[in-house]
Amino acid sequence: MIDSYQKMTFDRRAAMMIGGAGVLTSILVLQMLNLQVFNKRKYRRLSQNNIYRVRVEIPRRGIIYARGGVELARDEQVYRLYIVPKDMVDFKSTLDFLEKSLGLNDRNISRIMKMRRKQRDFQPILIRGKLNWQKMAELSALNIPGVHIEQGYARRYPFGAMAAHTIGYLAEPKDSVIPFFKTGKSGLERMYDGVLMGKTGQTVNISNAEGKIIGEDLDQGFPAMPGGALQTTIIAPVQEKLEQELSKLQAGCGIAMDAETGDIFAITSLPGFNADLFGFEEGEDYIDELASNPMKPFMNKVLDGLYPPGSVFKIVVALAGLENGTIKPADKITCRGEWKYGNHMYHCWEKRGHGPVDLVGAIKHSCDIYFYQMSLKIGIDAIAAMAKRLGLGGRAFDNYDESEKTGIVPSREWKEANIGVPWVHGDTVITAIGQGFMLANCMQLAVMLGAAVTNYRVKPRLTHDKEIVREHAGLAPQNIAEVSRGLLAVLEKGGTASGSYLNVGGKTMGGKTGTSQVRRISLEERASGIRKDSELPWELRNHGLFVGFAPADNPKYVVALVAEHAGGSAMVARAASAVMRELLNAGL
Amino acid sequence: MLDYKIMSKRTARSENMSLAERFSRMSFPLMALVGAILIYSAIMLYSAGGGSWSLYVFPQLLKILFGAAVFFAVAMTNIKFWIKFAYFYYSIALILVMMVFFVGHTGMGAQRWLNLGLFTIQPSEFIKMAMIVVLARYFAWYNSGQISQAKNYIIPAILFLVPFVFIVAQPDLGTGLTLMLIIAGMFFIVGANRNWFVFGAILAILMAPVVWHTMMHDYQRARIITFIKPEYDVKGRGYQITQAKIAFGSGGWTGKGYIQGTQGQNQFLPEKQTDFIWTMVGEELGFWGALALLGLFFGIAVMLYKMSKLCRSRYAQLMIFGFGVNWFSYYFINIGMNMGLLPTVGVPLPLFSFGGSALLSLMFGFGLVQNCWVHRDLQLSAKGG
Repeated sequence: MIDSYQKMTFDRRAAMMIGGAGVLTSILVLQMLNLQVFNKRKYRRLSQNNIYRVRVEIPRRGIIYARGGVELARDEQVYRLYIVPKDMVDFKSTLDFLEKSLGLNDRNISRIMKMRRKQRDFQPILIRGKLNWQKMAELSALNIPGVHIEQGYARRYPFGAMAAHTIGYLAEPKDSVIPFFKTGKSGLERMYDGVLMGKTGQTVNISNAEGKIIGEDLDQGFPAMPGGALQTTIIAPVQEKLEQELSKLQAGCGIAMDAETGDIFAITSLPGFNADLFGFEEGEDYIDELASNPMKPFMNKVLDGLYPPGSVFKIVVALAGLENGTIKPADKITCRGEWKYGNHMYHCWEKRGHGPVDLVGAIKHSCDIYFYQMSLKIGIDAIAAMAKRLGLGGRAFDNYDESEKTGIVPSREWKEANIGVPWVHGDTVITAIGQGFMLANCMQLAVMLGAAVTNYRVKPRLTHDKEIVREHAGLAPQNIAEVSRGLLAVLEKGGTASGSYLNVGGKTMGGKTGTSQVRRISLEERASGIRKDSELPWELRNHGLFVGFAPADNPKYVVALVAEHAGGSAMVARAASAVMRELLNAGL
Repeated sequence: MLDYKIMSKRTARSENMSLAERFSRMSFPLMALVGAILIYSAIMLYSAGGGSWSLYVFPQLLKILFGAAVFFAVAMTNIKFWIKFAYFYYSIALILVMMVFFVGHTGMGAQRWLNLGLFTIQPSEFIKMAMIVVLARYFAWYNSGQISQAKNYIIPAILFLVPFVFIVAQPDLGTGLTLMLIIAGMFFIVGANRNWFVFGAILAILMAPVVWHTMMHDYQRARIITFIKPEYDVKGRGYQITQAKIAFGSGGWTGKGYIQGTQGQNQFLPEKQTDFIWTMVGEELGFWGALALLGLFFGIAVMLYKMSKLCRSRYAQLMIFGFGVNWFSYYFINIGMNMGLLPTVGVPLPLFSFGGSALLSLMFGFGLVQNCWVHRDLQLSAKGG
């Protein structure tokens, strides 16, 4: 029996409930609309991310050429072996097997274990960067889960460490998500990354939730475009010669350049590194070794190494004096080995003195006393202006190396701003022999010499795609001729670099030596006898410098060498002479 | 679209009917809706199997056949049989629930299945039906005076609390929630004081933090955190709900096509043939396909509501409406969790998901509903009489 009150209650409350059910069901419909209509795009995209597995195809990197089709860097096909922990049945036993099969050492193993901890499960760990064909075939036949062998390209440098800083090397970019994809980390490899790299391609695979590839979407895939080649101005035999000669002097840097166009024929910084070993297992020890070397093999000293130019700077001082008319070529100064100015005694490198010397003689013998005295007549302002005019104190070679140094051309303003003390005459005197505050890199010295002998300041270039940039230095031809006479005399009998005299089919070389002090010689030491460089520890010995040009009558080539802590400059001049001989013989 | 004239021309005031007469008095439109859902389910299970009959469709058809047999048997027996034995099978269902608690199989961090040798069953599915029947019987002979007395709700409350405690302890939040909805729905519909519901709602809100900290398992808390912030753990606990939304949402208006769903077919959707089959419908057949299915579900709810109003006996009325509450809870909770509106609790899509227990329990329930409908004109006077 249903009484009327019950019926009334039931009818009212049942209607309320079915109404509530209707409202709640409508909410479901709204959510359907929300997901399927308003957010359809978002979920479509997410569903595609779910099923598509995009594989990036790494393009073959372009070749870097020296002149004459000589390859400095190229991509070579390699087989690389890597493991993906996620796919492995048992990590430990598989690694043990590989250790035996490939002869991995403890270092390799610890690297692999480190990667295992650092990386996520599905990321590959490289075991061997180059696998020979036989081993490759053997291991692929075994088909071990999680062990993959892939054919790929590896960057090789056929000349090993040659021009390493300039060519540069590759490294995996930070946070890279593409395995084995490397980009230029330094040098030309970095600067011309866009040209060399090419365009990556992609293969789009369709996979299921377990990651199994069940098909390929051809519409979305496209092939990789190989990178373009890069032609450099480097001449391999000259480069080899430069490195061979400079390596006899242990550490330093050097450059051989076309003074008319700025084309760099050879450029080096020693010791260097052999990037050909990077990325391969034998490179692991090697990189550590490089990092701990006190001679800083990763530093590109041509641009980043600053040195007091020493007597090489006398070229600038001479031109400054001739140009502002404060010195005449025939003016003579008598050198007695020392000269007292104010309360200070200034010394010539030749203790016995040079006797009376004119400009040519002062350059030939590198007489310090002549330049000390002349500098006060010329004035620091004219010297600093001439230094800048010839390319010192500014970036010689911009847009190549972020750490390229500008060096220092000291002036009144500079000292006031940086030291906070006014300029004094004593500062001018030591600046005249390229000591004191004066600092320059090897590249600037090459440009400076080029400008001093050709009257054109060039912008050095490494690749032919860069325009030839040269500016007239505005020097009087007779002044250039006077200085050049002095520079030629340096290599003649009695000159500071007479042992390096060069004559290739009538083409002779001129130049200037320089020895720059790394330490201050105290009065006591001078009194008790200056220690010979060979008695000093390496890092306190003087730097040896030489800048040279040839042919003497119509200068075209310049070389500049800095041998760190070489003690003197004679050996450096000899090395430069050998390089210049190579250049003249190349008959460009 | 559901404008069906329920009133039958013939009335049967006697319980003594021939089998043919009983059959003819059954609600064919309701059977048609149930049949439509079952056919729709078979179509989707064929797709869930990747175009295979043998993976899900045939096993499910066997269960449907068995369920149909139960359905007809229950529908065509004398209504007094079910009234008489209400407490008996409530007891059996309760014992099974307790057995699950002590010896049941563990799955997904919860004990739900009972291994009966040949097959496993989920007694929590049966306890819902048993609750409805036993409550319908309990309230059937109370007049409006008795209904308003609070003491008369003590026994039903106990009948609810005992299985509820065991089920929540399993732990099975989905069934626990459904049981709460059923008891609340039954109390409300018989005419309990409406202040109780206001009070109950406030109490539930106040109790929520206590339940969260003391009574819930870590995995349950994780599910609720995941529900609120699925992106919090996309590859872990949030995976299921994230993937479900991706699959469902990517279907758009018309879907990716039958057996063309990239997410379901490529195994990105876990449980796609059971609790998450709704997302497959959405992915492959789109908004319209899903709306049609939701229409069928809501259609049955409306039909049960209308049928309950036309019964002359209190028992039949409460039985049908109670089942309606159960039916609504099933599809609302399942679809809600499929679309990220509710936390993932293990509730299948009624008559649609692959699996036997819920199907059998529901077919039994529809059998009881039809049984009541067959006897809709019968006025039951005294207890058991």
